[in-house]
Amino acid sequence: MKNNPLSFSVNLKIDKISSNTPQFDYWILFSVIFLCSFGLAMIYSSSNSLEMTIRQGTYFFLGLLGMLLLAFSNFRKMEVFYLHSFWPAFFLLIIVLFFPSENSKTSRWIDLGFFTFQPSELMRFILPISAASFLTKNLKTKMKDMWFVIFVTLICFYLVAIQPDLGTSIIILLAGLLPVIISGFPWIYIFFGGFLVTLSLPLIWISLYDYQKQRILTLFNPEADVYGAGWNIVQSKIAVGSGGLFGKGFLNGSQSQLNFIPESHSDFIFSVIAEEFGLLGISILFFIYGILIYRLLMVSFYSSNKFAKIVSGTLSIILLAYISINISMVIGLLPVVGMPLPFLSQGGTALIVNLLTIGIILSLRKEV
Amino acid sequence: MSIFENKKDSIETYRIIVFLSPFLILLFFAFLQILNLSYFNSDIYKTQSDSNRLYQSKIAPQRGFIFDTKNTLLVENNIQQDLEINPSFIENPRVFLKQISDLLDLNFEKIESDFYVRATGKSSQEPYILIKDLNEQQIAKLSVNLKKIKGAEIVSSFSRNVIHKDIMAPVIGYVGNISREDIFNNPELTKFKSLKIGKTGVEKDFDSILRGNMGYRIQERDSYGKLIRNISIEPPLKGKDLKLSIDLDLQKKLFSDFKGRKGALVAIEPRTGLIRALISSPTYDPNLLNSINDYEEVKSLFADKDSPLFNRALSGQYPPASTLKPFVGMAALEAETISWEKRIVDSGEYYVEGDDRPYKGWKEGGHGNVDMKKAIVESSDVYFYALAYDLTINNLSPFLEKFGYGKQSGLTENEAKGILPSRKWKLGYIGEAWFKGDTINMGIGQGYITATPIQIALAYATLANRGEIVKPRIIEKIGGVSTEKVSNLNISLSDNQNWKRIEEALLGVVEASNGTANNIYDRNIRIAGKTGTAQVKSIGETEYKFLREDESLRDHALFVGYGPVEDPKLVVVAIIENGESGSTVAAPLVRKAINLYSKNEK
Repeated sequence: MKNNPLSFSVNLKIDKISSNTPQFDYWILFSVIFLCSFGLAMIYSSSNSLEMTIRQGTYFFLGLLGMLLLAFSNFRKMEVFYLHSFWPAFFLLIIVLFFPSENSKTSRWIDLGFFTFQPSELMRFILPISAASFLTKNLKTKMKDMWFVIFVTLICFYLVAIQPDLGTSIIILLAGLLPVIISGFPWIYIFFGGFLVTLSLPLIWISLYDYQKQRILTLFNPEADVYGAGWNIVQSKIAVGSGGLFGKGFLNGSQSQLNFIPESHSDFIFSVIAEEFGLLGISILFFIYGILIYRLLMVSFYSSNKFAKIVSGTLSIILLAYISINISMVIGLLPVVGMPLPFLSQGGTALIVNLLTIGIILSLRKEV
Repeated sequence: MSIFENKKDSIETYRIIVFLSPFLILLFFAFLQILNLSYFNSDIYKTQSDSNRLYQSKIAPQRGFIFDTKNTLLVENNIQQDLEINPSFIENPRVFLKQISDLLDLNFEKIESDFYVRATGKSSQEPYILIKDLNEQQIAKLSVNLKKIKGAEIVSSFSRNVIHKDIMAPVIGYVGNISREDIFNNPELTKFKSLKIGKTGVEKDFDSILRGNMGYRIQERDSYGKLIRNISIEPPLKGKDLKLSIDLDLQKKLFSDFKGRKGALVAIEPRTGLIRALISSPTYDPNLLNSINDYEEVKSLFADKDSPLFNRALSGQYPPASTLKPFVGMAALEAETISWEKRIVDSGEYYVEGDDRPYKGWKEGGHGNVDMKKAIVESSDVYFYALAYDLTINNLSPFLEKFGYGKQSGLTENEAKGILPSRKWKLGYIGEAWFKGDTINMGIGQGYITATPIQIALAYATLANRGEIVKPRIIEKIGGVSTEKVSNLNISLSDNQNWKRIEEALLGVVEASNGTANNIYDRNIRIAGKTGTAQVKSIGETEYKFLREDESLRDHALFVGYGPVEDPKLVVVAIIENGESGSTVAAPLVRKAINLYSKNEK
């Protein structure tokens, strides 16, 4: 396989990660720290709230601690824990439907008094890990186990979809099905499944809420209703476009500073970055994300352990899915679904979960 | 060590790459779109971003002040606070209007209907004033709560205040919103849309001078409409001040003598054409109209049967009656159909040959043997019937036209012309041929002929000037620059002595014991003048006494005079509608005006 296109780039990094002594991937660590710090700055710029920035900073600190803890743990010993952690997460996912936080219109949040969090975020983190652990408990993955994981995933998908949270439910679907697919689920079933989904698209359309339909329709013609459903898309496109090559400067983006972009500190933070730092800033951001995902994939590609391969592969794909879907949505390529930009958007649960994900992948690295 | 070196492991790697690729492709397209937005179309979005946050708004100029001839302030501007709303920032009009009406303790339905009337308009997204002239309590409540209400703001504006209200109303006029018709007539007004412009009087005639020029301001606002900062300001230009020729003291004192009766008075300086007093009664409070919010509030003003908004001094068309006699006499002298000394027997009735219908004089039994002087002093009707008959309409009309009858005085475009009948006029307007009887009636200023008070005043000013026609003016200074006297062509008589003769006769009206206005005789300040009694209806003697009971059918009383005769300072015409006798009600007004003004001049 000398002519494989990936081989050249991969070979460059070989000596660093091929050593058997447990070591740290500083590329991953520093790109994550860079992204989170940049995120804090952008949250401050878009919300003008020091309080919100400090709160997010605290989550960042806690997440970083958790990440390092997991990174230095022995994942072989943790595997059993990962396997069984599915059940508490599943329990919380059911609980949230009956006891949602009273401060929100949708039943996504659990209020612990001192801390509110989204069980769906927890699930999309735990599901792939426990699924991978479940699928690799035997040397050769059994079809029966695969079907079981698919079944459980569909239940989780349904539970999140009725919250309702379309964005996260799609991620849950990915998080549960990717381990099955990666571990070798037959293509014939995959195509058949895809075929079924395509057939049921009209059914899905009918079951969507009006506001969800509106978002999809708006995508095709945002200018038709500038002050209504199209507002977000129109305003964020203006923000991205008006940023130009070099941006308007930190804290100088009129679109975000004057509140023309709703949710500018969470789902639409990308438009703030684009407005204030321009095409140059976006390119740098893409580059950092590129380094991160590349290094995460390498962990998967060079690991000899199947569990490690499945987990790091799945989590890399999910991370890339988040990034690509969020950005596409902000610039009007995809409908507006609630999907934050990893490490950058405001939101405690998502940040901590993302950091813990990185921590686990860092711990898998040792098995290379 | 290549990725696919270990065949056993390659299936996972392979699958990861397959399922990673859709998202990589999506990200690639996203990057293309970003390139499209922020590189290729950046200019479009930069403009949109600016129009998002930048608002250009107009700053209203302050209207020019108006002073009287002694620099007494007549019209000023009061600053008031209004509630301005910006519809593009209002998300839910009902909730918004409810908040506003609760806060200001106003009727919700009223505000709502105002809002929707405006919201259906063409420029419904432009900011506009919803509630005018907030009181202090409302301002206090608003300034505390306005931060929470998106799309509303307190702005200050000017409201026009005529200080002496009704006394000056006919001169000053009032201001009002710019109508569609106004813009049609003067497209330049489009940029002044939010302002009020003059609708009548000096406010209208000199609107472009008083108006000033709009200022502009570019502001940065956030998505809630909250003002962030002013980017640039071009200050408005205040309108120029006007100094009127009106003497407020004189106007005030004469106005009070009207005691609410219907009528008009014009006092004009014959030498300069400057108008010193201009009264139309009854009148109105112009401030009611200046601050009008809707028509209902002033409906009664427009519906009043005494028409307080009607300017009688400039547009009231009255039969000039006996005040026309001196001009008829002059016309006859000029045409040489009679001489100054020629006597005619006035037996109280006049007959045209071949017609047994009598033309009656006002005095039963007549004035006996009268020459022109006596005919003017005693106001003999029969004398002037005969004069007019001999003169014919073809000679009479052109002569009267020289003195301004049948033409606008030139003071403003919004005054009546009166009627100067001629053969052609009657054929055109009445559709009948001219009869000799028409000429006879016109000899005493009755019949078809009508004139406005200002026309009568100007005709007498020309008389006092011995033929010099001066254009009337009401503005002395515009923004500190004096206006110039304008003289038209002079009237020259074939015998200049006739000016002196007519004046002598007019002096006799006041000074001779048999003069019709002997009651205002005062040897210190000599006045030349003429009484007039304008018949409201042509009626016979028997019906007359009966009809006198109905006040609206009583005769109009006129007097016009000028003085001091040696050097005429002022020509004054006074008309009291249904006042019966010129000498008893109108003449004292003229005497008072001339006396007051002469004392003032010294």
